[in-house]
Order: sequence, then C-alpha cells, then structure tokens
Amino acid sequence: MQKKNNPIADPHEIIQWTRRYARSRTIYFLVQWCLIVFVICIIGLVASLTQQAYMAGNKVLFYTSVMFLVIAFFFFIWISISQWTAELVWQVTQWFYGKEGFVSPDEKKRSKALPRWVIVLIGLMLVYHILAALLISFRYLSLQYLQPFSAGALVPVLCILIYYQNLGFWAWLWPILYGLHALLLLCGVPISFPAPWYLLNIMIPIFGYGFIAILIGHIYSRYALWKLKSITRQGLEEEYSNEKQNEEQKDEK
Amino acid sequence: MSELDRLIHEPARLRILTILAGVEATDFNFLLNTLGLTKGNLSSHIDRLEKAGYVKVEKSFNGRVPHTEFQITPQGREALENYWKQLDEIRNLNPPTDDKQR
Repeated sequence: MQKKNNPIADPHEIIQWTRRYARSRTIYFLVQWCLIVFVICIIGLVASLTQQAYMAGNKVLFYTSVMFLVIAFFFFIWISISQWTAELVWQVTQWFYGKEGFVSPDEKKRSKALPRWVIVLIGLMLVYHILAALLISFRYLSLQYLQPFSAGALVPVLCILIYYQNLGFWAWLWPILYGLHALLLLCGVPISFPAPWYLLNIMIPIFGYGFIAILIGHIYSRYALWKLKSITRQGLEEEYSNEKQNEEQKDEK
Repeated sequence: MSELDRLIHEPARLRILTILAGVEATDFNFLLNTLGLTKGNLSSHIDRLEKAGYVKVEKSFNGRVPHTEFQITPQGREALENYWKQLDEIRNLNPPTDDKQR
C-alpha cells in the first residue's frame, strides 16, 4: 500500500501507534512497584536488625526479628494477591489515564494467564531474597554483594515476566540496567556505597532502575498518544466541518 | 471487482475499526479522545458498526460506574482486511502518473 497515494492515514501506522500507546501506560506498574519496594525495604531493615541481634548475641531480639521476617513474607504475599491492592492500583491508574479512556493492549496478554511455573518462579525468587537476607544476617554474604546476588534471580524472572506479559520496549530497560549494574560491581567498578550505606547498594538499583523504566514507558505513552491522534485525525477535517455546520444550524434554529 | 464496503469506507468508521484492530478492547472515552468527534457523532458511527456485526459492545460496571467496552469482531476484522485489499486493487488499476508526464 503506497502511503503517498493514500488519501487517509496508513492503517498500519494507526494500529502500530495504538498498540504502542496501550503497552506504555505504565503508571499501574509504578504503583505496584512502590508497594513491592516498600515491602522489600521492610524485609531489608528486619534482616539488618536480625544481623545486629545475632552479632550482639541477643537471642530474644534475634528470634523476634526472624518472626518479623516471616510476617513480612506473608505480608508480601497478601499485597500481591489482595483486592485492596488491585483497587488501589485501579484508582491511581484512573487518576492518570481516566480522561484518555480505557484500552486493553493485547489479546495475548488478556486471554492467557501467567503459566503456573512462572508464578512458582516468582515465589522462589522471593524465597531466594529471604535467603539472601538470612545469609547477610549470619554474615555469610556481605551487603555490598547483595545486588549481584539478587540479579542472579531477579533478571531472569523479570525477563520471563516481560515476555509473557508482552510489555513494551521500556520494560526491558529494567533487567538490562539491573544486570549491567551487577556485572560492573563484580568486575570491581567502584559504584558501590561504603558502610554504613551498604543498603543503598540494593535499594537504589532495585528501585531506581525500575522507576527509570516505568517513567520512560509513561513518557513514551504521551508521545504515542500524540502521534496516534495526529495520524488518526488526518482526513477527518470534513467530518469536523460538517459537525460544526450542524451545530451552527441548530444554534440558528 | 467487488464494491468497497461503504460502511467501512466512511472516514470516521474506518478509523474506529482500525483502532479497534490494534487493541483487544477499548471504551467510548478513548475513541472520543483520540478521534476528536462529538459524542453524538461517535455514538452514531459505533451504532452502525455494531448493527453490521463489525463491533461487539460489552456493558459492565466498575463499582457503580457504568463501563462500556468495544471490540472488533472476527467479521469486522475480516471486513477491514478485505476493504484494504480492495483499495489496493483499485490503486493498482490506476497507478500514479510520473511527474514528468504531467
């Protein structure tokens, strides 16, 4: 189909930009991610407390903090599946995108749920990070290597989730940046925070790269919507003109 | 050569169907916001597409707020694809002339 001789917009472009826009509405990811990071922060703090209790030989504090670790784990599970979370995500998404209307990106995403093995993998990733917290508590793992240790599980799981949910290009930035950060640390590049700011070595990558990816997705969705509108409205000038004439005629009457 | 589907050939309806072909479902507000038509005009076009069986309308509630979703039907998708094929056939019959020959 020759675009130059086409009196109306290229349909493939309209379809393409519609899909790009639909896949880049990332604010709901941001809400979910903030909740996940919140819980991870709690787990990190409790793990740190557990370590201090272990080093101080305080058995009461140690077992109390282990118990809080378990509670944090179940709290994370609840956040992941509760209706309250779904409602919160919906409300925030509507606040951002409500005026633009609803759009559901892809048949692939909507018609097929995540395979069971992927859900199990997400659970295992969580256990992996709880294990990391315990290893740090017992000083088998240094906090400064927590990020590369985390990347070992988080990067493949993110890639699988992105693939199965058919997300836009922006989502791939997250595992790429996170994995790159881990590689740089393992190669000895001095990008880590020293004590007592070790926790920032995990907090900044785990929150920062996710935030960057989501923000880029959201910005791209603004561009995609602008592009879609400009392409779609080409050739509708006569339609708008007729509507205006009809309205003027109604006003005259 | 078969005639172009006049229902789809109308510019606004063509765009409505093309947008729907790119997503699984969307609602009235998205089409209104994207196309810039008036509510009455858009309703009229969607109504005609629904009656022709090209668009499926699903009504539900988000809490107390009514929510209407539009999806292109398999029939609508096929009709759209046939429309573009027919348009290509027409163009191939009358290729653009070279500027030098004008």
